[in-house]
Amino acid sequence: MARIGTISGPKGVRGGPAAPPDGRNQPREGGDASLSDDALVALFANGDEQAARHLTARLAPRTLAVARRVLGDRDEAEDVAQEAMMRLWRMAPDWQPGQAQVSTWLYRVTLNLCLDRKRRGKRVGALRLDDVPDPPDPGRTAPERMQDGARSDALQSALMTLPERQRQAVVLRHIEELSNPEIAGIMEISVEAVESLTARGKRTLAAALAGRREELGYSDG
Amino acid sequence: MAENDIKDAFLEAHFAAARRVDAGMPLALEARMLADAARVQAQQVPVMRPAAESPRRGIAGAAAGLVQHFMRVLGGWPALGGLVAASAAGVWIGVAPPDFLPDPVGLMVQYDTEVNMLDSYELSSVLPEEG
Repeated sequence: MARIGTISGPKGVRGGPAAPPDGRNQPREGGDASLSDDALVALFANGDEQAARHLTARLAPRTLAVARRVLGDRDEAEDVAQEAMMRLWRMAPDWQPGQAQVSTWLYRVTLNLCLDRKRRGKRVGALRLDDVPDPPDPGRTAPERMQDGARSDALQSALMTLPERQRQAVVLRHIEELSNPEIAGIMEISVEAVESLTARGKRTLAAALAGRREELGYSDG
Repeated sequence: MAENDIKDAFLEAHFAAARRVDAGMPLALEARMLADAARVQAQQVPVMRPAAESPRRGIAGAAAGLVQHFMRVLGGWPALGGLVAASAAGVWIGVAPPDFLPDPVGLMVQYDTEVNMLDSYELSSVLPEEG
């Protein structure tokens, strides 16, 4: 399977709501919003310790999410996310501002690391519900959180039935909400190929989840 | 068409749930990432740390920044140490060259040495006596 190549396209920060009461997991806003990723990488390379915090808060949650959805294993995903961020730290002195988006570069690195893990035959599988951290949105009731967890878990099970490239494309398009051209740049394929992969992936997912509508809270069709 | 819309909404509800679930970031993982960052940063920019911890202002600060920039361009303390050692060795070789090397000072100055052979002899021994 070809490695994922060219970089293009930004990804905005998806800031989460406030921290959950148990404090186990914290959704993060994107660090210092006044600075670009490029600027933060340059600051990091110049010894600014706060830049690492901002970059971690801004990029690591999405890196972890992609790895988790592609690998289907929380522990493996954490290892991949940590390694991807490590590569960011090491790359910082050589980063050329304006030539690519840091976030897109990181997506590419993350997907390549996921591929490497799969090639090495590391354990992968469906995400277990008890592996999933508590939903961090305090505005949602406990039943809503449970429903989110069940739907997320069901989606993960269905995702793991997709071919690798379809799963990557669907995760980037519909969970990370990247544009098709951005995904095409990350996966080094045409926009038409991205559209084809996501369309086929969605059809498979819909079929896989159709039998669980009532179980997942879709009693009204 | 309506059926497709229903399917899309059905799937989108799952994607939205996944996004909400994925929004969290384990604190232990974040701590590991930051520890990695600190370790890499310490290796990459050792000479920048003192300035970051005790920033100086004005001309002194600017000079310190310039020196640090110069140091970083050279490659930091290890590279500077090598540079000093190489320079010292060069000076020493210049002052006291090994036997197999020509005298560098002589090569540069190109001085001449005059030897007055006549002072070694009595003129009377080489000039014919009159009479």
